[in-house]
This record gives sequence, C-alpha cells and structure tokens, in this order.
Amino acid sequence: MALIMDIAVVALRMLLPVYTVVIVYQIFAAMRRRRRPERPLVLLEDNDTGEKIPVLFWENSIGRARGSDIAVDDPAVSRNHCVLLRRKEGWFITDTGSKTGTYVNGKRVVRRTRVNIDDEISIGNKDYAFKRGEEFDEELQSSWFFSKVSNKPAIQPYKIMILVSLFHIFMAVEACFCDGAKDFDPAVLCGVLVGVEWLFFFVSKVILKRVAFELEALGLFFTGIGVMLLARQELRSSYVQLIAAVAGMVVFCVLIKFIENPDRIGRWRLIIMIVAVLLLGINLVFGRVTNGSANWVHIGPVTVQPSEFVKIAFIFVGASTLDRLQTKQNLLEFIIFSAICVGALALMGDFGTALIFFGTFLLISFTRSGDFKTVILALTGAGLGGFIVLNLKPYVLRRFQGWRHVWQYTQDSRGYQQARTLTYIASGGLFGVGIGNGVLKYVAASESDLVFGLMSEEMGFISAVTIAVAIATLFIYARSVTTRSRSTFYSISACCAAGLFVIQMSLNVFGATDILPLTGVTFPFISAGGTSIISCWGLLAFIKAADERTYSK
Amino acid sequence: MKRILKRSWLIFIVAIAFLCGMCFLVIETVLNASEWVDMPYNGHISGSGGLIQAGKITDRNGSVLAESVNGKRSYHSDAAVRKALLHVVGDDSLNISTAIQSRFRSELTGYSFIWGLNMPQSFRHGHDMELTVDAATCKAAYNQLKNYDSGACVVYNYNTGEVLCDVSIKTYDPNSPPKITKNNEDEYEGVYLDNSLSSTYTPGSIFKIVTAAAAIENIPDIWERTWYCSGKEEIGGGDITCVNSHGTVNLKQAFGHSCNVVFAELAVELGADKMNETAKRMGINANFKVSGIDTKKGHYDVSKANKNQLAWSGVGQFDDAVNPMQMAVMCGAIAKGGTPVMPYIISGNSGSILADIGLSKTGTNGKTLMSSSTAEKLGELMRYAVINDYGESMFGGLHMCAKTGTGETLTGSGSDKNDGWMIGYCKDSEYPLAFACIVRGSSRYGYATAGQVAKAAVTQAAKCLK
Repeated sequence: MALIMDIAVVALRMLLPVYTVVIVYQIFAAMRRRRRPERPLVLLEDNDTGEKIPVLFWENSIGRARGSDIAVDDPAVSRNHCVLLRRKEGWFITDTGSKTGTYVNGKRVVRRTRVNIDDEISIGNKDYAFKRGEEFDEELQSSWFFSKVSNKPAIQPYKIMILVSLFHIFMAVEACFCDGAKDFDPAVLCGVLVGVEWLFFFVSKVILKRVAFELEALGLFFTGIGVMLLARQELRSSYVQLIAAVAGMVVFCVLIKFIENPDRIGRWRLIIMIVAVLLLGINLVFGRVTNGSANWVHIGPVTVQPSEFVKIAFIFVGASTLDRLQTKQNLLEFIIFSAICVGALALMGDFGTALIFFGTFLLISFTRSGDFKTVILALTGAGLGGFIVLNLKPYVLRRFQGWRHVWQYTQDSRGYQQARTLTYIASGGLFGVGIGNGVLKYVAASESDLVFGLMSEEMGFISAVTIAVAIATLFIYARSVTTRSRSTFYSISACCAAGLFVIQMSLNVFGATDILPLTGVTFPFISAGGTSIISCWGLLAFIKAADERTYSK
Repeated sequence: MKRILKRSWLIFIVAIAFLCGMCFLVIETVLNASEWVDMPYNGHISGSGGLIQAGKITDRNGSVLAESVNGKRSYHSDAAVRKALLHVVGDDSLNISTAIQSRFRSELTGYSFIWGLNMPQSFRHGHDMELTVDAATCKAAYNQLKNYDSGACVVYNYNTGEVLCDVSIKTYDPNSPPKITKNNEDEYEGVYLDNSLSSTYTPGSIFKIVTAAAAIENIPDIWERTWYCSGKEEIGGGDITCVNSHGTVNLKQAFGHSCNVVFAELAVELGADKMNETAKRMGINANFKVSGIDTKKGHYDVSKANKNQLAWSGVGQFDDAVNPMQMAVMCGAIAKGGTPVMPYIISGNSGSILADIGLSKTGTNGKTLMSSSTAEKLGELMRYAVINDYGESMFGGLHMCAKTGTGETLTGSGSDKNDGWMIGYCKDSEYPLAFACIVRGSSRYGYATAGQVAKAAVTQAAKCLK
C-alpha cells in the first residue's frame, strides 16, 4: 500500500515538469496560430507610375527618410512628412511639420484630416490614390513567429484553461499529501483559485467578448503557481495573494479599456506623471524601512509598495502615438520623469527597482528615438550614480562583496540567502521534492526574492527554468504581435512592458543564484506580494492591448 | 511604425542576454549541484536523520565501518577501530567536515541531480562506499597514538595511491559522541580536525630531507665534503645547537645523526632563493586533494628571514610548517623516483556519481617533486639513517628508508610539547608503503614516540598487503 502511494507521489512529481512544458508550449502555439493572414490594410496608388504601395500598419510614417513606413523618394518631401493612421472611425492623415505641406483632394491638411477610399493624397510632387487593401495582389511576408504555422486549428481557449486548472489541482494534491501534512487547506485554496480562474475566463469570453485568451491563460498559470506555492508556507498570505491577483485582473480589464483610444491618452499623461511622482513622494516621506530599503507604505493593515504602481505609469508615460512622436521628438519630459523616479527609488534604498526603471527607461527612450547618444549618456550617468551610491550606502557594497563568493559567506547576510537558494535548487533535482516539502521556505524572503529557488526545489529545475524562459518569451510574442498594433503607443508599451518583465526576472533569478548581486526584486506573477502581482497584471494589459483583436468587436 | 519595430532589437538583446544567463545557470547547476547539496545547513540531509538511508561504508577488506540498520546509523563493532577511523568515516553530525559522511553525505544518501534528495522511502537507496583503508592497520596505529595528546599517522601505497591508514588524535567514539561544552572544550580541542589532512606541524629534522635535496642539486662537491660539529655554532648572531657534538661528519653521517649545525650551514650557504625554490618545488607550500578532500598547505618562506632564521629554517624550525599527508606523499615521491602517485581514499561506490566526477579513479601521478637522481640520493641518505641510527630491526625485517624529527613548537611550554616525527618508506617491492607519523606532547624524541607509531602501522600494513 505504502509502495503504491510512493509510486503515485513520484509519478505526480515527474508529471508536473513535463506538464509545465506542455502548457507553456500549447499557449505559445495557440498564440502563433490565432492570426488572420497578412494583408495590407489599404494601399496608395501612385498616379504617375501606377505603383501600388501597401499600407501595412495602423500608423504609418510617410517621408523621405529611409526608415519611413512609406518612403517617398522626392526632394520636395520632408524627412518625416506626415502620418497616415487608422482609427475606429476610419483613416486619417496628419501633417507632422513638413515644409511643403500635405494635401487631401487638393486641400492642405492643417489638423488630423479624414481620408476616404479613392481620395487623392498629395505629398511634395507626388499624388496618390487611396485604395482598398484588397486591390493588392502580391504576397506579403509575415513575422517568423507567425510564419510556417501548420494549418491545424489552434487549441480552444477553454481547453487551455482546463490544462491550467488541472495543473493547479495537481499542485494542491501534492501540497495536501506533503510530508507531515494533516489538513486539506490547499485543496480549499485551490478550489477558490480555480473558481477565480474560470470566472475571469467567463468575464473575458462572454462579457467582454475577447477572441483570444492565451495571454490571460499564461498570466493565470503563473499567478496560480505563486498562490499554490504559498499554501504550505503561509496559508494566509496565499489568500492575500489571490485577492491581490483578482484586483490585478480588474486593473488589467480597466486599463485595457482606459487605453482603448490612443489619442485620448495624451491628455492623461501629465496627470499620471504627477500622480506617480506624488506616490513616490508619499513613499519617501511615510515609507518604513524594511530590509534596508524604505519602499513600503503601511495604510492600516495593508502594506503597499507604491513603486510597483509607478511601473505602470512609467510605461504609460513613455509610450506615444506616431504622429505625436514625430511632432514632439523631444525626450526631455520623459527623461526628467525617469530621473525623478530612479532618484526617488535610489533615495529609498530600493536599488533593485531603481535598476528596473533605469533599464526600462533605456528601452523606451531608444525605441522612441533610436538615438544611441541618449543611451550612452544615460549609461554614463547611471555609472556615476552607481559609484556615488556605493560610496554612500555601505550595505550595498557589502552585497557586492558576497557576489560570486557566497560560499565563503554562508552564515552572514552577504551569502546566506544565495547559498541556501543554490543548495536547495540542487536538492530539488530536475523534478523537485514536491509542493510543501521544501526547506528553502524557512529562509526569509524565499517567497519573494528567492522564489525561483523555492519553485526549483519544490517543482523541479525543469519547471522553474521553463517558467522563467516562458516569461522571457513573452517579449518575442509582444514584439511579433505589435506589427499589428493599432498605434505605436501599443507597440512601444507592449515591447517595453515585456522588456521590463525580462529585466525584473533577470535581477530576481540571477540575484538569487549569485550570477548577479542580490537586489531583492520580485519574480513577475509568482513572487508573493500584493502590489507586485497587481502591477504585473497591469503591465500585461499593455501587451494585451497591442493585439489588434483585443478591441475588435 | 517600422522604425519602432526595428529599434526593439535592443529588447531582443536583453531577452537574449537573459537566455544566455539562464544557460550559464543551467551549466553551473549541472556541474556543481553535488557540491551545493553537501552543506551542513541543508535541511534534507542534516542531523542523524539525514543518514537513515545512507549506504554502507566498508574498508578494503569489506569490513563494515558504518551502515544504517533499522533507521539508525551504526559503526564498526570494535571501539578502537571506531575511534581510529572517526575522522575518515565521520559520525552522525557534520562536525568533522572532511569525513566521508560529511563530505559525501549526499552521495551516500543516494543523491543525484536528476532525482534530488527527497525521494519517498521505498525508492531511496543509498550508495555504498568502499574505502582503501585497512581497519586493522588503523587500529594498530591508534593503539600507539592514543598514548599522546594529539597526532596523526598516514600510511599509503606509493605504487597505487591507496591510503591504508589515516588516523588522527584527538578522537572519540562515534557511537557516543561527547557533548562539548564550555567546561570541557579544552579537553576536546581540535577533535573535529583530521590532523593528517587538515593540520600542519613544525617539521623539525625531517625537513633536512628538503635541505639535503637543495644541497644535492646545487652543491657539486657535496659528497666529498666534511664538516666538524662541536655541538653548537654561532650563525647570524645566534647559536645553532645539536644534541651533542657529532665531530667530523660527511653528508650521510650528518643526515643520519641529524646534525643541526651541518644543515643550518647548508641552508645559509644555499641562500634563501634556492631554499625557497626547492621547498616550493617539493610542494611544501601547496595543497592537493585526497579523493576530493583538500589537504592543508604547508609553509616555507625565508625570503624575509635573517641569517639566523635561515639557518634554523634549514633544520625545520623557524616558521616552517608541514602537513602529514604531504610528508607521506614526499616520501612516496622519493620511493617512486621523484614523481609521486597521489593518494586516494575512496576506492569504489555503488552509485556512479563519484565515478562521473572523477573521484573514484585510482591514483594518478602528481607533480614531479624532484629529479630521479635526487630521489635516489635522498633514498640512500634515508636508508643510511635507518641502518646506522635507528636500526634495521626496528621494522622487523622490512627494508626501510626513513627520517625522524623533533619539531620545537613555539606555543609549547617546555619540552613536553615537542612534535615527534617519523616519515619514510619501505624499499621492498612487495610492500610499497610510504608513511608519515606525528606525535605531539611528549618530552622524548621523534624516534621514540612517532617511531613506535610508525612501526606499529607499517608492520600491520605490510601484513595486510601479504
């Protein structure tokens, strides 16, 4: 009898890593398949030559510059002449400060002007007829992520949901039968979790009528893992985590609605910046010092990390529509905002988050401007700042001392956590010791900063690595889906939100495993932390919004 | 739009950097996991419970040194063997960090990177380990060593590298480990150290082997020379003293009588650079691994010494320090013509992990410590010392080459804290044994103390090789 039990335990343990790989594969495979064929949206026909120029994006720059979406080789055309863009109401054209002007049916464009099919658009010495996309008869190449996809229909979203829920149920089974377990609390928790998952699925599918659900399924998969990992560590915090995740899903839906109209967003920019700076200011004044950094604010029984919300604001402020980008190329406003954010975080002593903001700042500013000088200048500035920090805050330097030498410091703060993370990663083997059987959970911050180690110990090295790689792959998805984004606002925000995830996860995983110095940041979606999970769902909204189908009814 | 998409390659670089980091982590984990696991704090294996599933540890003849029976770890039936092999085998705790049960606890409990450490009971099977040591030899050495405060005895086969005897004092019975408190911590000072691997001692006259090697290689007429020893001589502002006046001696006689005056003069004549170079080449300042367990480095550095200190360093005083295992290897090198076969202690295990990481292979050649002609000459000197000074009969008919020494420890109060040494090897091809014995805390000389330990261990080891 005991033998049968043991066989079942081992079989389940071996199943989970394989299952992790299957789920991640299925979700990404479904993401690839759910895509309409590559066709131009509209086309411009050169009246003189009859050449048909496909218009591929929702926002297209027209100009003499070679990088323009529609490059016009004509000395009378400015480098960044105008922007042809599609909105819910139809197609528009905006002149972005050209010298010779843009004309629709002979009338000079002053503001954003409506363009209808068969209208004539004149730029410099060129005249174009605005035609339907169907009239284009050549093949278009699509992004490799979506190309060479077999014709098999994508797995149905509800099937993915079944896979995900079943995974969490398996985790609960392991937790219920872990060494020395006497209760079935994880089963109750899992019941609530699965209920939340299906409720979200129902809201998304039936009420919001979204076609795709893969991205949300991935988010739910990770969130559920984080919740279930806490079940045998501290049951109360796993419920807190679940409640926060629900709040995160609400933020996700609201945010998608909020950024539905990319033109309206511009008006909110300033307000959001002020709110973000205020949040950080409150944090600076009222923050209580925890683990050397004052990034926590206590409001009654609730503790929040305002910097997590500022992440969303940061992406929001950084992204912009194409016509705005071309008229206001100045990055100054964003640079000042970033400097305030990074500076405030550094003052709080939260260098991990400061580093995330700084990395994201580099990504956003480069994506917007393509300017290497800004990047190099910022890096130099950061290098100087880092040098000053090391001189002013000795405990940061102490962390660096332990870096790559943790085995010499297994009993003090320089290497205690990292050495244990590595030991227990190794103890878990490829398949893990089972949910609830880990020892790393008794080490401080194992559920947040060291969660990669906890996952690896309890669920196995295969699962942990697969999950980390899946979050990194989210960027490739974001990058591929943005070719169809309804505005550069979405492409910039999606790519940079995914980039932020990758930076944050790198700091978490490599910090805990002593490949980088330990900075104490969370693992997206999985680390315990209410504000953290809310902000992760918020950031996921940007990636979701970049998919043009999100807003199609 | 196109431009924005193009510029996102920067994020691609971040993602690729992350993936590279991940690959690095995977490689590091695969390579080092078995080391990371063996940490005293590891909750999966620490405490006596960690050994419940551990495999058997046997000596070279299959005699069980430790095994787990009915959820309890039990050790050899003979208390003397248990105490003799405490530092090799270890006890339930992880206090003796170099012991097999500490160092290879995860392997013993059946750890593998694939399965981790927490397999259900019915699937766990510990790996057995077979050691090269001989329980009887260790017991014989222990029965002599136990008369002293502390000490160590190493005997190994210089042809194969198998360590037959590794005994360290102080010791205790692993069946009833002592509770060490503030009141009795003096009594048990250093009890967790395997002195043969992890301690160094003042070499005293055994260091004359190194000085002799330097002289043989650097002074062409060394064999024609004679010296006059009046019992003491002033060098560099201080006296170098001998036990008594040795009169006129050549090198062989000086070595056999262990004449301090002659070797102090030689050290000064050779100079700091040549002495340093020879000591370094003979591995005094280096350490090595015995089945993956590090030995402690010795110490010889006279680059800042004055003339008197240089003189004393040549007879193994000053701040010279050597490790017993290292001395045994040096003797092994002399026996093998300059290049030693490195010692090892784990001869086999039922799991394959050790073999995978290259630990269970047989002895490999170490670095060449001296030329073959130097080795031959040193062998002659050590043989001469046995025949003329210690007596051939001491080792019951074995053809031994050896050197004794008495290291005066700086910390000792009076002469009863002397370190008595005897190191050497057996020339007989049937008994390829090299040894090093050190005894601390006796007023007598190395010959009388360590010599008796060496005699007991080597004669018993020879019996086991028969």
